[in-house]
Amino acid sequence: MYNLRRFILKHHFVILFILLEVISILLLARSQNFHRNRLVNGTNTVVGKVLESSSEVGNYFRLSKTNKELAEENAMLREQLSIVVDTMERSYDLVDSDTVYEYIPAQVVNNSTNQANNYIIINKGSVDGVERDMGVVSTKGIVGVVVDVGKHYASILSLLHSKSFVGVRFKGNQELGSLRWNTNDYRHGMVEDIPTHVELHQGDTVLTSSYSFIFPEDLMVGTVDELQSMASGTFNKARITFATDFATLRHVYVVKHHYKHEIDSLKSKFEP
Amino acid sequence: MNKTLLHIIRFVVLVLVQVLLVNHIRLGGYVHPYVYILFVMLLPINISNWQLLLLGFGLGFCVDMFTGTPGLHAGATTLMAFCRPGILRLVSGSQKLENVHEPDLGQLGGGWFLRYVLFLVVIHHFALFLLESFSFRLLGQVLLRILLSVPVSVFLIMMILYLFKRDKKNEAL
Repeated sequence: MYNLRRFILKHHFVILFILLEVISILLLARSQNFHRNRLVNGTNTVVGKVLESSSEVGNYFRLSKTNKELAEENAMLREQLSIVVDTMERSYDLVDSDTVYEYIPAQVVNNSTNQANNYIIINKGSVDGVERDMGVVSTKGIVGVVVDVGKHYASILSLLHSKSFVGVRFKGNQELGSLRWNTNDYRHGMVEDIPTHVELHQGDTVLTSSYSFIFPEDLMVGTVDELQSMASGTFNKARITFATDFATLRHVYVVKHHYKHEIDSLKSKFEP
Repeated sequence: MNKTLLHIIRFVVLVLVQVLLVNHIRLGGYVHPYVYILFVMLLPINISNWQLLLLGFGLGFCVDMFTGTPGLHAGATTLMAFCRPGILRLVSGSQKLENVHEPDLGQLGGGWFLRYVLFLVVIHHFALFLLESFSFRLLGQVLLRILLSVPVSVFLIMMILYLFKRDKKNEAL
């Protein structure tokens, strides 16, 4: 016993060092598994408050740009409304007023674009009805998926994450693909699993597909930038430019699907 | 001013500067400077080893809380703290540090400090970028990140040191 104590005292520098490193690596390894882990991220109240007050200062300087974006969105919505009103007037049937999706507006309090795995923190949490696995969109396009919810804050797995994965569809030919992020550049993503017979052109629009229930169908994702054909194999890749500008992201909406739980419970019956 | 209070203020200020300002620097995707480690560099020279390690770990963990990467900065900063006594001996050589209380730009000179900062930044960045790539990035990319980030970090740290160089009468940061 005495020898053990003497050994520990003599080598306490190395022992403590190894202990702290083991703790660090365990924490890090656990956080790699993002779905099961509660992130230490900004869902913590103190951290959230600090980040929020700092982002408020930033918001002030972007007011004019934000105004412009909101005005543009307003115009777009008015346009869509006029189409809806038009359809309603022409048909005798009532348009189904039972909406499936609800949008919860939120502000970005922290956002990174230059890490290998980027997360976004927003100022809405469980109190506001935000739940895990809900989609997040901006006025321009999709942004990411909620992975962790605190009382007043939530963290979002950005599209700019090595594990981000979204089902997409090309607007022109309705073909499907899957969007990942491996370009290391916050402006571009990569659509994979495109069958080789599909013809794509630069500037083609990429939209969300209807199979995920995380995002509503036909939301803007981005535009095709460059087609990369594989020498072998039956699938091509396409580099796309994100519609969302992640560098200046401020206002986002969390998408709530009213029947998500029902769909999930149906799905779980087929999956063991 | 009370020495302990000074270190606490320095700790808080450097963490905030890192997560609110420096983390948002975007220079082509490969440059990620880190300045918060200056806190460990400026701890008293005769600080006990266990305090040095725990402070390094705590500092890194605070930055992790903000970036959502538990263990990443904590691990890298702990390694840097572990290497600090050795680097101090290596950099000083025959120069005596006995009457120096804590690393001080005025007393030890710019050349000494540049070497001291450079060694520790290289160790920290090496550990950090390797740990970050743990699952996913290739070694070539990691080396490129280190190569491009180290000079920027060293530059920023030296700039902060010169900005807050202590006057004899006025003890600022």
